[in-house]
Amino acid sequence: MKKIIFILAMAILVFACKTETKKAEDKQQQVESKTETPLLALGEFETKAGDFVNKEVKIQGIVDHVCKHSGKKLLVVTDDGKVHITSDTRFNDELQGSEVSLTGIVLEERIDEAYCLKMEEDNIKSHSEGKSNKDQFDQKKEHIQQYRDQMKAESIDYISSYSLQYVSHTEIK
Amino acid sequence: MKKLRKWSRILHRDIGYFFIGTTIIYGLSGIALNHLSDWNPNYSILVKHSSTSINLENTATIKDNVLILLDDIDSRKNYKKHYYPNRKTIKIFLKGGSSVLVNLKSGDVRAEYLKKRPVFYEVNFLHYNPNRIWTWFSDLFSASLILFAITSIFMVKGKKGINGRGGIYTLLGILIPLLFLIIYL
Repeated sequence: MKKIIFILAMAILVFACKTETKKAEDKQQQVESKTETPLLALGEFETKAGDFVNKEVKIQGIVDHVCKHSGKKLLVVTDDGKVHITSDTRFNDELQGSEVSLTGIVLEERIDEAYCLKMEEDNIKSHSEGKSNKDQFDQKKEHIQQYRDQMKAESIDYISSYSLQYVSHTEIK
Repeated sequence: MKKLRKWSRILHRDIGYFFIGTTIIYGLSGIALNHLSDWNPNYSILVKHSSTSINLENTATIKDNVLILLDDIDSRKNYKKHYYPNRKTIKIFLKGGSSVLVNLKSGDVRAEYLKKRPVFYEVNFLHYNPNRIWTWFSDLFSASLILFAITSIFMVKGKKGINGRGGIYTLLGILIPLLFLIIYL
């Protein structure tokens, strides 16, 4: 009996030490990740995101919208800016209206004339197949025109649009 | 052949019983999600318009003012967060996915209340594979559908079977998707 108690005590001791070490390691990792992942304010996301393409950044804001179709897209906003988030897994609808601290990888999408033509083609196809109504069709058309106007006004070949590939998030209560 | 027919019937019948509930789940959610552009399959949306004279400009007392507005149109207990999408609008988020938009200049209030659609919310939730265990279960269900198709070939003999009427139906069922592929792909 004594032997069993001794073995059990030793096992608990070893387990406790291991957990402590793991906790310490986790803490260290957290500190490291905190120092490594830069926080971008949404107000300056569009201007600064270009420096972090394919790198992890952290943002903070309110979830304005969870995509009702796929459930895998979020729109995170503040008074000063917004950013679109895409994910491989679905988000919970209840996230809408919550303030979150979110980590993601910056993705760059280049919008040029070829992209506009493709969008135009998709818009016509989607409308002709009844997948979008007249309002959605007109909105998209206007959106594409805005891209063209911007490229022309700024004499540039493409516009960079930045979004985030979701990594993780925590809700701020 | 007799043995194959017997086992086809047994498997078709018993696995069929087992998956009655799952078939209804996927059937209902399939119809619901097929029409995403026509409706919101998870929530019914009630829009209410009203007006307010409460000052909702971004001042030090904004949160109190938002709560006073919510007392009028809903309940302050449902407040979640708020922000300004542009200079003349405030958006207030409520618990459960509802939200309120107020035009700061005119005082027009547009409240959008979301209510979960009973049954549809739950079946759609399952359709979207909420976790890994459900993924396995739904894989099993999908495999069973293939098994149902195969066993149905051997279940009935005679003119109502695959050599008669059943064969015509089978061909029609294969032809329709093929036609769609030829026309639209």
